[in-house]
Amino acid sequence: MAVVTVSGQPGCRTGEVARLAAQRLGFTHLGAERLDALLAEEFGPVVERAARTWPDMAASILLRLATTQHLVVGVDGAEEVFRGFPALLRVRVVAPANRRTGNLMLDDGLNRVEARRALAERDRESAALRKARFGRSTAAPESFDLVLNAATIDSAHMAELIAQAAGQQGLLEHGFLSPAAEAQLQFQIRLRLARHGIQPHGRAALPKVQFGHPSEEIFANLLDFYRIPWEYEPRSFPIAWDENGNVIESFTPDFYLPESNLYVELTTMKQSLVTRKNRKIRLLREIYPHVNIQVFYQKDIMDLVMKYGLAPQAQPQP
Amino acid sequence: MKVPALPVIDRVLFTEEQVQRRIREVAGEISDRYRDGNLKMIGVLKGSVFFLTALARELTIPVKVDFLSISPFSNHTRAPGVVRISKDLDESIEGEDVLLVEDIVDTGFTARYLLQTLAGRGPNSIALCTMLDRPARRIVPLKIDFKCFEIPDRFIIGCGLDYKQLYRNLNFLAVLKPD
Repeated sequence: MAVVTVSGQPGCRTGEVARLAAQRLGFTHLGAERLDALLAEEFGPVVERAARTWPDMAASILLRLATTQHLVVGVDGAEEVFRGFPALLRVRVVAPANRRTGNLMLDDGLNRVEARRALAERDRESAALRKARFGRSTAAPESFDLVLNAATIDSAHMAELIAQAAGQQGLLEHGFLSPAAEAQLQFQIRLRLARHGIQPHGRAALPKVQFGHPSEEIFANLLDFYRIPWEYEPRSFPIAWDENGNVIESFTPDFYLPESNLYVELTTMKQSLVTRKNRKIRLLREIYPHVNIQVFYQKDIMDLVMKYGLAPQAQPQP
Repeated sequence: MKVPALPVIDRVLFTEEQVQRRIREVAGEISDRYRDGNLKMIGVLKGSVFFLTALARELTIPVKVDFLSISPFSNHTRAPGVVRISKDLDESIEGEDVLLVEDIVDTGFTARYLLQTLAGRGPNSIALCTMLDRPARRIVPLKIDFKCFEIPDRFIIGCGLDYKQLYRNLNFLAVLKPD
Protein backbone atom coordinates (compact mmCIF):
# COMPACT_ATOMS: atom_id res chain seq x y z
CA MET A 1 0.00 0.00 0.00
CA ALA A 2 1.42 3.38 -0.99
CA VAL A 3 -0.25 6.55 0.19
CA VAL A 4 0.51 10.19 -0.41
CA THR A 5 -1.39 12.66 1.75
CA VAL A 6 -1.63 16.28 0.66
CA SER A 7 -2.78 18.85 3.21
CA GLY A 8 -2.66 22.57 2.81
CA GLN A 9 -3.70 25.96 3.97
CA PRO A 10 -6.92 27.27 2.37
CA GLY A 11 -6.26 29.06 -0.91
CA CYS A 12 -3.18 27.01 -1.80
CA ARG A 13 -4.94 24.98 -4.53
CA THR A 14 -4.13 21.84 -2.57
CA GLY A 15 -6.83 19.88 -4.38
CA GLU A 16 -5.26 20.65 -7.76
CA VAL A 17 -1.82 19.65 -6.47
CA ALA A 18 -3.19 16.33 -5.18
CA ARG A 19 -5.02 15.62 -8.43
CA LEU A 20 -1.98 16.36 -10.58
CA ALA A 21 0.28 14.30 -8.30
CA ALA A 22 -2.11 11.35 -8.60
CA GLN A 23 -2.06 11.73 -12.37
CA ARG A 24 1.73 11.74 -12.43
CA LEU A 25 2.02 8.74 -10.12
CA GLY A 26 -0.83 6.75 -11.64
CA PHE A 27 -2.47 6.59 -8.17
CA THR A 28 -6.16 7.01 -7.35
CA HIS A 29 -7.02 10.54 -6.24
CA LEU A 30 -9.41 10.99 -3.36
CA GLY A 31 -10.51 14.53 -2.47
CA ALA A 32 -12.55 15.77 0.48
CA GLU A 33 -15.90 15.71 -1.32
CA ARG A 34 -15.42 12.17 -2.56
CA LEU A 35 -14.34 10.97 0.86
CA ASP A 36 -17.38 12.64 2.45
CA ALA A 37 -19.62 10.81 -0.04
CA LEU A 38 -17.96 7.48 0.79
CA LEU A 39 -18.31 8.14 4.52
CA ALA A 40 -22.02 8.83 4.07
CA GLU A 41 -22.40 5.65 2.00
CA GLU A 42 -20.60 3.50 4.58
CA PHE A 43 -21.81 5.01 7.84
CA GLY A 44 -25.20 6.40 6.88
CA PRO A 45 -26.51 9.72 5.73
CA VAL A 46 -25.74 11.54 8.97
CA VAL A 47 -21.98 11.66 9.32
CA GLU A 48 -20.64 14.21 11.73
CA ARG A 49 -17.81 15.73 9.70
CA ALA A 50 -16.18 17.31 12.72
CA ALA A 51 -16.40 14.34 15.10
CA ARG A 52 -13.48 12.81 16.96
CA THR A 53 -14.46 9.52 15.34
CA TRP A 54 -13.82 10.93 11.86
CA PRO A 55 -10.19 9.68 11.69
CA ASP A 56 -11.26 6.09 12.41
CA MET A 57 -14.19 6.23 9.99
CA ALA A 58 -11.95 7.65 7.27
CA ALA A 59 -9.21 5.13 8.00
CA SER A 60 -11.69 2.27 7.74
CA ILE A 61 -12.61 3.27 4.20
CA LEU A 62 -9.14 4.27 3.06
CA LEU A 63 -7.56 1.04 4.28
CA ARG A 64 -10.06 -1.01 2.30
CA LEU A 65 -9.36 1.04 -0.84
CA ALA A 66 -5.64 0.53 -0.25
CA THR A 67 -6.05 -3.21 -0.77
CA THR A 68 -6.67 -2.62 -4.47
CA GLN A 69 -5.03 0.71 -5.30
CA HIS A 70 -2.41 3.23 -4.30
CA LEU A 71 -3.84 6.52 -3.11
CA VAL A 72 -3.25 10.24 -3.14
CA VAL A 73 -5.50 11.62 -0.42
CA GLY A 74 -6.06 15.35 -0.84
CA VAL A 75 -7.89 15.87 2.44
CA ASP A 76 -6.71 18.24 5.14
CA GLY A 77 -5.55 16.21 8.13
CA ALA A 78 -5.19 12.94 6.21
CA GLU A 79 -1.60 12.68 7.43
CA GLU A 80 -3.00 12.00 10.92
CA VAL A 81 -5.15 9.12 9.67
CA PHE A 82 -2.14 7.14 8.41
CA ARG A 83 0.21 7.91 11.29
CA GLY A 84 2.80 5.12 11.66
CA PHE A 85 2.11 3.47 8.32
CA PRO A 86 5.00 2.48 6.04
CA ALA A 87 5.07 3.64 2.39
CA LEU A 88 3.62 6.98 3.31
CA LEU A 89 4.54 10.44 2.02
CA ARG A 90 2.95 13.34 3.89
CA VAL A 91 2.92 16.64 2.03
CA ARG A 92 1.97 20.09 3.27
CA VAL A 93 1.32 23.04 0.94
CA VAL A 94 1.70 26.53 2.39
CA ALA A 95 1.76 30.09 1.04
CA PRO A 96 1.72 33.65 2.37
CA ALA A 97 -1.71 35.21 2.87
CA ASN A 98 -1.24 37.53 -0.11
CA ARG A 99 -0.74 34.63 -2.50
CA ARG A 100 -3.67 32.71 -1.06
CA THR A 101 -5.87 35.80 -1.36
CA GLY A 102 -4.79 36.18 -4.98
CA ASN A 103 -5.67 32.55 -5.72
CA LEU A 104 -9.16 33.01 -4.25
CA MET A 105 -9.64 36.14 -6.38
CA LEU A 106 -8.82 34.19 -9.52
CA ASP A 107 -10.53 30.91 -8.68
CA ASP A 108 -13.73 32.28 -7.16
CA GLY A 109 -13.99 35.55 -9.11
CA LEU A 110 -13.82 37.69 -5.95
CA ASN A 111 -12.44 41.18 -5.50
CA ARG A 112 -9.55 41.64 -3.06
CA VAL A 113 -11.71 42.66 -0.09
CA GLU A 114 -14.09 39.72 -0.59
CA ALA A 115 -11.19 37.32 -1.06
CA ARG A 116 -9.51 38.47 2.18
CA ARG A 117 -12.77 37.96 4.04
CA ALA A 118 -13.35 34.53 2.45
CA LEU A 119 -9.80 33.46 3.28
CA ALA A 120 -10.16 34.48 6.94
CA GLU A 121 -13.41 32.52 7.12
CA ARG A 122 -11.85 29.42 5.53
CA ASP A 123 -8.85 29.64 7.85
CA ARG A 124 -11.23 29.71 10.83
CA GLU A 125 -13.23 26.74 9.50
CA SER A 126 -10.10 24.74 8.77
CA ALA A 127 -8.71 25.34 12.27
CA ALA A 128 -12.04 24.40 13.88
CA LEU A 129 -12.27 21.19 11.85
CA ARG A 130 -8.73 20.13 12.79
CA LYS A 131 -9.38 20.90 16.44
CA ALA A 132 -12.57 18.80 16.43
CA ARG A 133 -11.04 15.88 14.59
CA PHE A 134 -7.49 15.73 15.93
CA GLY A 135 -7.51 17.79 19.11
CA ARG A 136 -5.34 20.65 17.83
CA SER A 137 -6.20 23.48 15.50
CA THR A 138 -2.89 23.66 13.65
CA ALA A 139 -0.89 21.10 11.71
CA ALA A 140 2.33 20.16 13.50
CA PRO A 141 5.31 20.74 11.17
CA GLU A 142 6.90 17.42 12.17
CA SER A 143 3.81 15.60 10.86
CA PHE A 144 5.05 16.15 7.28
CA ASP A 145 7.81 14.74 5.14
CA LEU A 146 7.67 17.47 2.51
CA VAL A 147 6.55 21.10 2.77
CA LEU A 148 6.02 23.08 -0.44
CA ASN A 149 5.58 26.82 -0.88
CA ALA A 150 2.83 27.67 -3.37
CA ALA A 151 4.11 31.24 -3.58
CA THR A 152 7.14 30.15 -5.55
CA ILE A 153 6.17 26.79 -7.05
CA ASP A 154 3.11 26.25 -9.24
CA SER A 155 0.78 23.27 -8.91
CA ALA A 156 2.26 21.27 -11.80
CA HIS A 157 5.79 21.70 -10.45
CA MET A 158 4.67 20.71 -6.95
CA ALA A 159 3.06 17.56 -8.37
CA GLU A 160 6.33 16.74 -10.09
CA LEU A 161 8.29 17.20 -6.85
CA ILE A 162 5.81 14.99 -4.98
CA ALA A 163 6.16 12.27 -7.64
CA GLN A 164 9.95 12.47 -7.39
CA ALA A 165 9.85 12.29 -3.59
CA ALA A 166 7.46 9.32 -3.74
CA GLY A 167 9.84 7.57 -6.13
CA GLN A 168 12.87 8.26 -3.95
CA GLN A 169 11.07 6.93 -0.87
CA GLY A 170 10.36 3.72 -2.75
CA LEU A 171 6.59 4.13 -2.63
CA LEU A 172 6.21 2.93 -6.20
CA GLU A 173 7.71 -0.45 -5.33
CA HIS A 174 5.19 -1.27 -2.61
CA GLY A 175 2.38 -3.73 -3.15
CA PHE A 176 -1.19 -3.16 -2.06
CA LEU A 177 -2.25 -3.72 1.54
CA SER A 178 -2.87 -7.44 2.06
CA PRO A 179 -6.45 -8.46 2.90
CA ALA A 180 -5.20 -10.13 6.12
CA ALA A 181 -3.49 -6.95 7.31
CA GLU A 182 -6.54 -4.92 6.38
CA ALA A 183 -8.84 -7.28 8.31
CA GLN A 184 -6.68 -6.98 11.41
CA LEU A 185 -6.63 -3.18 11.24
CA GLN A 186 -10.34 -3.02 10.48
CA PHE A 187 -11.09 -5.10 13.55
CA GLN A 188 -9.32 -2.63 15.82
CA ILE A 189 -10.94 0.36 14.13
CA ARG A 190 -14.44 -1.12 14.22
CA LEU A 191 -13.96 -1.92 17.90
CA ARG A 192 -13.12 1.72 18.64
CA LEU A 193 -16.06 2.94 16.55
CA ALA A 194 -18.43 0.52 18.29
CA ARG A 195 -17.58 2.19 21.60
CA HIS A 196 -19.14 5.33 20.13
CA GLY A 197 -22.13 3.39 18.87
CA ILE A 198 -21.02 3.68 15.24
CA GLN A 199 -21.56 0.74 12.96
CA PRO A 200 -21.20 0.57 9.19
CA HIS A 201 -24.41 1.15 7.33
CA GLY A 202 -23.14 -0.07 3.97
CA ARG A 203 -19.89 -0.89 2.22
CA ALA A 204 -18.54 2.04 0.25
CA ALA A 205 -16.45 1.25 -2.79
CA LEU A 206 -14.59 3.40 -5.24
CA PRO A 207 -15.15 2.06 -8.74
CA LYS A 208 -12.01 2.19 -10.82
CA VAL A 209 -12.45 4.19 -13.97
CA GLN A 210 -12.85 1.86 -16.89
CA PHE A 211 -13.58 3.80 -20.01
CA GLY A 212 -16.09 2.36 -22.40
CA HIS A 213 -14.27 3.63 -25.47
CA PRO A 214 -10.75 4.90 -26.31
CA SER A 215 -12.15 8.32 -27.22
CA GLU A 216 -13.32 8.72 -23.61
CA GLU A 217 -9.82 8.10 -22.32
CA ILE A 218 -8.43 10.63 -24.80
CA PHE A 219 -11.00 13.17 -23.67
CA ALA A 220 -10.12 12.49 -20.01
CA ASN A 221 -6.43 13.02 -20.84
CA LEU A 222 -7.32 16.30 -22.56
CA LEU A 223 -9.20 17.49 -19.46
CA ASP A 224 -6.27 16.48 -17.25
CA PHE A 225 -3.91 18.36 -19.55
CA TYR A 226 -5.90 21.56 -19.10
CA ARG A 227 -6.29 20.90 -15.34
CA ILE A 228 -10.04 20.60 -15.52
CA PRO A 229 -11.50 18.33 -12.81
CA TRP A 230 -13.83 15.61 -14.07
CA GLU A 231 -15.82 12.62 -12.93
CA TYR A 232 -16.61 9.63 -15.11
CA GLU A 233 -20.25 8.48 -15.32
CA PRO A 234 -21.06 9.74 -11.80
CA ARG A 235 -24.85 9.79 -12.20
CA SER A 236 -27.63 8.01 -14.07
CA PHE A 237 -30.80 9.93 -14.89
CA PRO A 238 -34.05 7.91 -15.11
CA ILE A 239 -35.86 8.94 -18.31
CA ALA A 240 -38.70 6.42 -18.61
CA TRP A 241 -40.94 4.64 -16.11
CA ASP A 242 -43.55 1.88 -16.35
CA GLU A 243 -47.13 2.28 -15.11
CA ASN A 244 -46.02 1.25 -11.57
CA GLY A 245 -43.38 3.94 -11.44
CA ASN A 246 -40.44 1.58 -11.94
CA VAL A 247 -37.56 2.98 -13.92
CA ILE A 248 -37.32 1.22 -17.28
CA GLU A 249 -34.78 3.44 -18.98
CA SER A 250 -31.93 5.62 -17.77
CA PHE A 251 -29.27 7.76 -19.33
CA THR A 252 -25.73 8.06 -17.96
CA PRO A 253 -23.65 10.89 -19.44
CA ASP A 254 -19.97 10.05 -19.84
CA PHE A 255 -18.43 12.94 -17.90
CA TYR A 256 -19.34 15.51 -15.29
CA LEU A 257 -17.23 18.66 -14.97
CA PRO A 258 -17.94 20.09 -11.49
CA GLU A 259 -16.27 23.47 -12.17
CA SER A 260 -18.62 24.13 -15.10
CA ASN A 261 -21.55 22.14 -13.67
CA LEU A 262 -21.69 20.48 -17.08
CA TYR A 263 -22.27 16.91 -18.22
CA VAL A 264 -20.51 15.83 -21.41
CA GLU A 265 -21.63 12.97 -23.60
CA LEU A 266 -19.30 11.64 -26.28
CA THR A 267 -20.73 9.65 -29.11
CA THR A 268 -18.48 8.17 -31.73
CA MET A 269 -21.27 6.47 -33.61
CA LYS A 270 -21.92 7.56 -37.17
CA GLN A 271 -24.33 10.48 -37.43
CA SER A 272 -26.98 8.27 -39.02
CA LEU A 273 -26.94 5.92 -36.02
CA VAL A 274 -27.28 8.46 -33.23
CA THR A 275 -31.06 8.86 -33.40
CA ARG A 276 -31.67 6.65 -30.37
CA LYS A 277 -29.09 8.48 -28.28
CA ASN A 278 -30.47 11.85 -29.41
CA ARG A 279 -33.89 10.77 -28.18
CA LYS A 280 -32.44 9.97 -24.75
CA ILE A 281 -30.68 13.33 -24.60
CA ARG A 282 -33.86 15.14 -25.63
CA LEU A 283 -35.79 13.33 -22.86
CA LEU A 284 -33.06 14.18 -20.35
CA ARG A 285 -33.29 17.86 -21.27
CA GLU A 286 -37.09 17.80 -20.99
CA ILE A 287 -37.25 15.99 -17.64
CA TYR A 288 -34.21 17.67 -16.08
CA PRO A 289 -34.16 21.19 -17.55
CA HIS A 290 -31.68 22.36 -14.90
CA VAL A 291 -29.07 19.81 -16.05
CA ASN A 292 -26.52 21.21 -18.50
CA ILE A 293 -25.30 18.69 -21.03
CA GLN A 294 -22.96 19.11 -23.97
CA VAL A 295 -22.93 16.43 -26.67
CA PHE A 296 -19.86 15.76 -28.75
CA TYR A 297 -20.63 13.84 -31.92
CA GLN A 298 -18.20 11.88 -34.04
CA LYS A 299 -17.35 14.88 -36.22
CA ASP A 300 -16.73 17.06 -33.13
CA ILE A 301 -14.38 14.46 -31.72
CA MET A 302 -12.61 14.14 -35.05
CA ASP A 303 -12.23 17.94 -35.12
CA LEU A 304 -10.70 17.80 -31.65
CA VAL A 305 -8.45 15.03 -32.88
CA MET A 306 -7.32 17.25 -35.74
CA LYS A 307 -7.01 20.36 -33.61
CA TYR A 308 -5.03 18.83 -30.78
CA GLY A 309 -3.21 16.26 -32.89
CA LEU A 310 -4.50 13.45 -30.73
CA ALA A 311 -3.42 9.94 -31.49
CA PRO A 312 -4.17 7.15 -31.83
CA GLN A 313 -7.35 8.01 -33.67
CA ALA A 314 -10.47 6.81 -31.96
CA GLN A 315 -12.38 4.16 -33.87
CA PRO A 316 -16.13 4.55 -34.32
CA GLN A 317 -18.28 2.41 -32.07
CA PRO A 318 -20.29 -0.30 -33.75
CA MET B 1 -12.63 38.72 -54.94
CA LYS B 2 -11.58 35.54 -56.63
CA VAL B 3 -11.36 32.54 -54.30
CA PRO B 4 -8.71 29.98 -55.22
CA ALA B 5 -10.18 26.60 -56.11
CA LEU B 6 -8.68 24.47 -53.34
CA PRO B 7 -9.94 20.90 -53.15
CA VAL B 8 -10.11 21.06 -49.33
CA ILE B 9 -12.60 23.92 -49.33
CA ASP B 10 -16.26 23.05 -48.96
CA ARG B 11 -17.47 26.67 -49.10
CA VAL B 12 -16.38 30.17 -48.23
CA LEU B 13 -17.86 31.24 -44.90
CA PHE B 14 -16.69 34.88 -44.90
CA THR B 15 -15.00 36.63 -47.80
CA GLU B 16 -11.89 38.76 -47.45
CA GLU B 17 -14.03 41.91 -47.63
CA GLN B 18 -16.40 40.67 -44.92
CA VAL B 19 -13.49 39.74 -42.67
CA GLN B 20 -11.77 43.11 -43.16
CA ARG B 21 -14.99 45.05 -42.54
CA ARG B 22 -15.73 43.18 -39.33
CA ILE B 23 -12.15 43.52 -38.06
CA ARG B 24 -12.40 47.28 -38.67
CA GLU B 25 -15.63 47.42 -36.62
CA VAL B 26 -14.16 45.44 -33.72
CA ALA B 27 -10.99 47.56 -33.82
CA GLY B 28 -13.25 50.60 -33.42
CA GLU B 29 -14.85 49.07 -30.32
CA ILE B 30 -11.44 48.28 -28.85
CA SER B 31 -10.12 51.79 -29.61
CA ASP B 32 -13.12 53.29 -27.81
CA ARG B 33 -12.76 51.01 -24.78
CA TYR B 34 -9.02 51.63 -24.31
CA ARG B 35 -8.86 55.30 -25.38
CA ASP B 36 -7.52 56.32 -21.97
CA GLY B 37 -5.80 53.03 -21.23
CA ASN B 38 -2.49 51.32 -21.63
CA LEU B 39 -3.35 48.60 -24.13
CA LYS B 40 -1.17 45.58 -24.67
CA MET B 41 -2.34 42.93 -27.12
CA ILE B 42 -1.12 39.42 -26.43
CA GLY B 43 -1.29 36.94 -29.28
CA VAL B 44 -1.28 33.19 -28.90
CA LEU B 45 1.08 31.59 -31.39
CA LYS B 46 0.61 30.58 -34.08
CA GLY B 47 -3.00 30.96 -35.11
CA SER B 48 -3.71 34.46 -33.84
CA VAL B 49 -0.77 36.16 -35.60
CA PHE B 50 -2.74 36.98 -38.75
CA PHE B 51 -5.80 38.25 -36.89
CA LEU B 52 -3.80 40.24 -34.33
CA THR B 53 -1.80 41.97 -37.07
CA ALA B 54 -4.90 42.91 -39.05
CA LEU B 55 -6.66 44.11 -35.89
CA ALA B 56 -3.71 46.18 -34.66
CA ARG B 57 -3.46 47.97 -38.01
CA GLU B 58 -7.05 49.18 -37.68
CA LEU B 59 -6.69 50.53 -34.12
CA THR B 60 -6.67 54.29 -33.66
CA ILE B 61 -4.84 54.21 -30.32
CA PRO B 62 -1.25 53.29 -29.40
CA VAL B 63 -0.77 49.61 -28.64
CA LYS B 64 1.97 47.29 -27.45
CA VAL B 65 2.17 43.75 -28.80
CA ASP B 66 3.60 40.57 -27.31
CA PHE B 67 3.24 36.86 -27.98
CA LEU B 68 3.24 33.59 -26.12
CA SER B 69 2.66 29.97 -26.94
CA ILE B 70 1.63 26.95 -24.91
CA SER B 71 2.80 23.37 -24.92
CA PRO B 72 0.82 21.11 -27.23
CA PHE B 73 -1.25 18.23 -25.93
CA SER B 74 -0.02 14.83 -26.94
CA ASN B 75 -1.80 11.59 -26.30
CA HIS B 76 1.21 9.52 -27.30
CA THR B 77 2.44 9.14 -23.76
CA ARG B 78 0.50 7.43 -20.97
CA ALA B 79 0.60 10.55 -18.79
CA PRO B 80 0.15 13.56 -21.06
CA GLY B 81 1.27 16.01 -18.35
CA VAL B 82 -0.28 19.42 -17.97
CA VAL B 83 -0.45 22.52 -20.10
CA ARG B 84 2.35 25.05 -19.62
CA ILE B 85 3.64 28.16 -21.37
CA SER B 86 6.35 27.06 -23.79
CA LYS B 87 7.20 30.55 -25.07
CA ASP B 88 6.58 33.24 -22.48
CA LEU B 89 5.98 36.97 -22.93
CA ASP B 90 9.05 39.09 -23.50
CA GLU B 91 7.95 41.81 -21.07
CA SER B 92 5.97 42.15 -17.85
CA ILE B 93 2.24 42.96 -18.04
CA GLU B 94 2.03 44.49 -14.58
CA GLY B 95 -0.24 47.55 -14.70
CA GLU B 96 -1.09 47.05 -18.38
CA ASP B 97 -4.56 46.69 -19.91
CA VAL B 98 -4.14 43.24 -21.39
CA LEU B 99 -6.17 42.07 -24.36
CA LEU B 100 -5.68 38.36 -25.04
CA VAL B 101 -6.18 37.80 -28.78
CA GLU B 102 -7.25 34.38 -30.01
CA ASP B 103 -8.05 33.16 -33.50
CA ILE B 104 -10.86 30.92 -32.28
CA VAL B 105 -12.51 30.02 -28.99
CA ASP B 106 -14.35 26.72 -28.99
CA THR B 107 -13.98 24.44 -25.95
CA GLY B 108 -12.47 27.38 -24.03
CA PHE B 109 -9.67 25.22 -22.57
CA THR B 110 -6.78 27.35 -23.85
CA ALA B 111 -8.37 30.74 -23.18
CA ARG B 112 -9.33 29.74 -19.63
CA TYR B 113 -5.80 28.60 -18.83
CA LEU B 114 -4.21 31.73 -20.32
CA LEU B 115 -6.64 34.16 -18.69
CA GLN B 116 -6.04 32.56 -15.29
CA THR B 117 -2.29 32.57 -15.77
CA LEU B 118 -2.08 36.16 -17.04
CA ALA B 119 -4.45 37.44 -14.35
CA GLY B 120 -1.95 36.29 -11.75
CA ARG B 121 0.72 38.64 -13.13
CA GLY B 122 -0.84 41.86 -11.92
CA PRO B 123 -2.30 43.50 -15.04
CA ASN B 124 -4.55 46.55 -14.59
CA SER B 125 -7.28 44.75 -16.54
CA ILE B 126 -7.62 41.69 -18.72
CA ALA B 127 -10.04 40.99 -21.57
CA LEU B 128 -10.51 38.45 -24.32
CA CYS B 129 -10.86 39.10 -28.05
CA THR B 130 -11.38 36.38 -30.62
CA MET B 131 -11.86 36.37 -34.36
CA LEU B 132 -14.18 33.36 -34.22
CA ASP B 133 -16.44 32.11 -31.47
CA ARG B 134 -17.84 28.59 -31.76
CA PRO B 135 -20.18 28.36 -28.74
CA ALA B 136 -21.58 24.97 -29.76
CA ARG B 137 -18.35 23.37 -28.52
CA ARG B 138 -17.98 25.35 -25.32
CA ILE B 139 -17.08 23.29 -22.28
CA VAL B 140 -15.60 25.98 -20.07
CA PRO B 141 -17.76 29.08 -19.54
CA LEU B 142 -15.94 32.23 -20.68
CA LYS B 143 -16.70 35.93 -21.04
CA ILE B 144 -15.66 37.06 -24.51
CA ASP B 145 -15.28 40.84 -24.62
CA PHE B 146 -14.78 41.28 -28.38
CA LYS B 147 -15.49 38.92 -31.23
CA CYS B 148 -15.76 39.19 -34.99
CA PHE B 149 -17.92 36.23 -35.91
CA GLU B 150 -19.94 33.51 -34.24
CA ILE B 151 -19.56 30.42 -36.38
CA PRO B 152 -21.39 27.11 -36.81
CA ASP B 153 -20.02 23.79 -35.68
CA ARG B 154 -17.70 23.27 -38.66
CA PHE B 155 -13.94 22.99 -39.16
CA ILE B 156 -12.72 26.37 -40.41
CA ILE B 157 -9.50 27.30 -42.22
CA GLY B 158 -7.95 30.61 -43.25
CA CYS B 159 -6.93 33.88 -41.55
CA GLY B 160 -4.54 31.98 -39.28
CA LEU B 161 -6.60 28.82 -38.83
CA ASP B 162 -4.91 25.72 -40.17
CA TYR B 163 -5.51 22.17 -41.23
CA LYS B 164 -2.32 20.16 -40.71
CA GLN B 165 -0.43 23.47 -40.50
CA LEU B 166 -1.62 24.54 -43.97
CA TYR B 167 -4.00 27.26 -45.21
CA ARG B 168 -3.29 29.79 -42.43
CA ASN B 169 -2.41 32.32 -45.14
CA LEU B 170 -5.82 32.31 -46.84
CA ASN B 171 -7.25 35.82 -46.49
CA PHE B 172 -10.83 34.55 -46.20
CA LEU B 173 -12.54 32.03 -43.90
CA ALA B 174 -13.67 28.73 -45.39
CA VAL B 175 -15.30 25.50 -44.23
CA LEU B 176 -13.07 22.49 -44.64
CA LYS B 177 -14.53 19.79 -46.84
CA PRO B 178 -15.50 16.76 -44.71
CA ASP B 179 -13.71 13.51 -45.53
